[in-house]
Amino acid sequence: MPDFSLTPEEESLRDLARKFARGEMAPVAAECDRSGRFPEEVYRKAHGLGLMNLNVPTEYGGSGLGVFAQCLIVEELAYACGGMTTSIIANCLALEPILLGGTAEQKTRILTPFCADYRFAAFCLTEPSGGSDAGALRTVARRDGESYVLDGEKCFITNGPHAELYTVFATVDPSLRHRGITAFVVPRATEGVLPGKDEEKMGHRASSTGTIRFEKVRVPATQRLGGEGEGFALAMRTLDQTRTPIGALATGIAQAALDHAARYATKRYTFGKPIAEHQAIQIKLANMAQAIRAARLLTWHAAWTIDRGARGTLESSIAKCFASDAALHVADEAIQTFGGYGYMKDYPVEKLLRDAKLTQIYEGANEIQRTVIARELLKSYD
Amino acid sequence: MEIVVCVKPVPESETRLRVSADGTSLDPEAVKFVLAGYDESAVEQALLLKESLPGSKVHAVSFGPAPRTEEVLRAAIALGCDQATWVEAPPGPAPDPVATGRALARPIFAMPHDLVLCGKQAGDDEAGLVAAVLGELLGVPDVGFVVDLRFDVPSGRLRFRRATEGGLELWEAPTPCVIGLQQAWNDPRTAKLPAILKSRRVAIAKVPYAPEDSSAPRSVAEKFELPPPRTGAAMIEYKTPAEAAAKLVRVLREEAKVFP
Repeated sequence: MPDFSLTPEEESLRDLARKFARGEMAPVAAECDRSGRFPEEVYRKAHGLGLMNLNVPTEYGGSGLGVFAQCLIVEELAYACGGMTTSIIANCLALEPILLGGTAEQKTRILTPFCADYRFAAFCLTEPSGGSDAGALRTVARRDGESYVLDGEKCFITNGPHAELYTVFATVDPSLRHRGITAFVVPRATEGVLPGKDEEKMGHRASSTGTIRFEKVRVPATQRLGGEGEGFALAMRTLDQTRTPIGALATGIAQAALDHAARYATKRYTFGKPIAEHQAIQIKLANMAQAIRAARLLTWHAAWTIDRGARGTLESSIAKCFASDAALHVADEAIQTFGGYGYMKDYPVEKLLRDAKLTQIYEGANEIQRTVIARELLKSYD
Repeated sequence: MEIVVCVKPVPESETRLRVSADGTSLDPEAVKFVLAGYDESAVEQALLLKESLPGSKVHAVSFGPAPRTEEVLRAAIALGCDQATWVEAPPGPAPDPVATGRALARPIFAMPHDLVLCGKQAGDDEAGLVAAVLGELLGVPDVGFVVDLRFDVPSGRLRFRRATEGGLELWEAPTPCVIGLQQAWNDPRTAKLPAILKSRRVAIAKVPYAPEDSSAPRSVAEKFELPPPRTGAAMIEYKTPAEAAAKLVRVLREEAKVFP
């Protein structure tokens, strides 16, 4: 029999995230959304409380959580601010290739000092010419003796402008397509690593996103993760681990949208009664609640599948795709519930729509998720 | 210094309280219990003293039913307490403050205690009696409404302030003694994630409840009822706009529950 109750430990982790989200993130969320400020004071505290390197085992200084516990935390954080959550959890994405593809020596050498202090890492896969078609990436890694020389450009890199460590996917031979892709860990301090400016974004404005150029960057072979040509599989396995928390992030945004809408609906009067007593609004709220429940359960199921040791490609793609679509729809309906006020920046719901939109695009666009879902699905009809 | 800190689980301030079917207690169903706010200050005070006096230990003690009492003790351990002792409450209505004091005093008497700290009262019944009962039963002085407690090593005495109407009194006291702390004056810390995980694996000493501690209660709750819905306006008194805003936000969050 499936058990949906949380253990006391899981409840304590969720309480910690809730307290942090409401006490530290929520008070500055609107201000950071307006200004695009990257709230380092919040991120520093998140690191101090152990909320930043959630997936890194404790032996390397991380929090050592499974995907399910990560999801509980991420949903709570995203309830307060999706953008800050993206920046807080981006280390998980950037460090996962090291956890999956690094040797014990690399993990100790790279992760232990990295996690000890407040620092950002960034996952560098997407390029200006495309993100979904990762096999076609153009950043080149040319072997030269005991090192490689990297040349190319990465874009839309979360925390890129602030990161001190990059996990970079480059090809040793573009003609091999995805079989040429190789992963490297590159410290920012390396000559030729040139982070660009912060992008101006529609949402997730408290997060930082930027371009990183690599110009003749010499990387010792000891910084290569796995063998040459193993980078594509490593990137895909990484995303299998990190996709589910994006479902949780979308669920958190959606839950915030419903809470705002339902609270408003009980206070706002039209035709002599609260709009929550009009059936048109009740149907909206009911549909929003259903979408959120489904998103959360799909996310929990995907997390549970992965924590039991399965790869969970299908489950995590379904969770991420469904939850992000649900978040956009729920945020949209929340604005509609608020009417004209919902469209105004003085009210909190229009931000949720802008923040929700990104969850359909990043960590694998939903079109790619559907391709993956169909491919996994059709395997059983061969 | 051997510091004992008494902690109590109370309903979270945002919980919507319901009166039980028979009207003589609050319905614990669906209530989220947390470490009482005053006790959070007591734990913080204990940890500050421990950090300033090398070799000190902090022992958290609680009296109450499962599972919430075990949970607040784990929360105290996650914050930095070294040990925890749980006196499990008998089934039935909550014991009155004297019975609670007795239940706590029994294990405290048996453990080293240079200083016993607790919140000056708890956020649920607001009785504020346990510190005094403990002082009496342990045969040591007790002082309530305390802030800013320090231990003066040369004289071996405690120095602290007592928050009273319109001012702060400067006090000192010998050890051992019982101190009831004022709430939120010391910005209680938040437990870190690794400490929360570690706290799950710490053994909590369980002490049986001694039936002789539950003599005829001196006070009995006869009836609980929710306050009638208020109408009209409430005035917020303030000196600065920042203070007005802070008070208004608190009212909107905790009383009107307009937002979480």
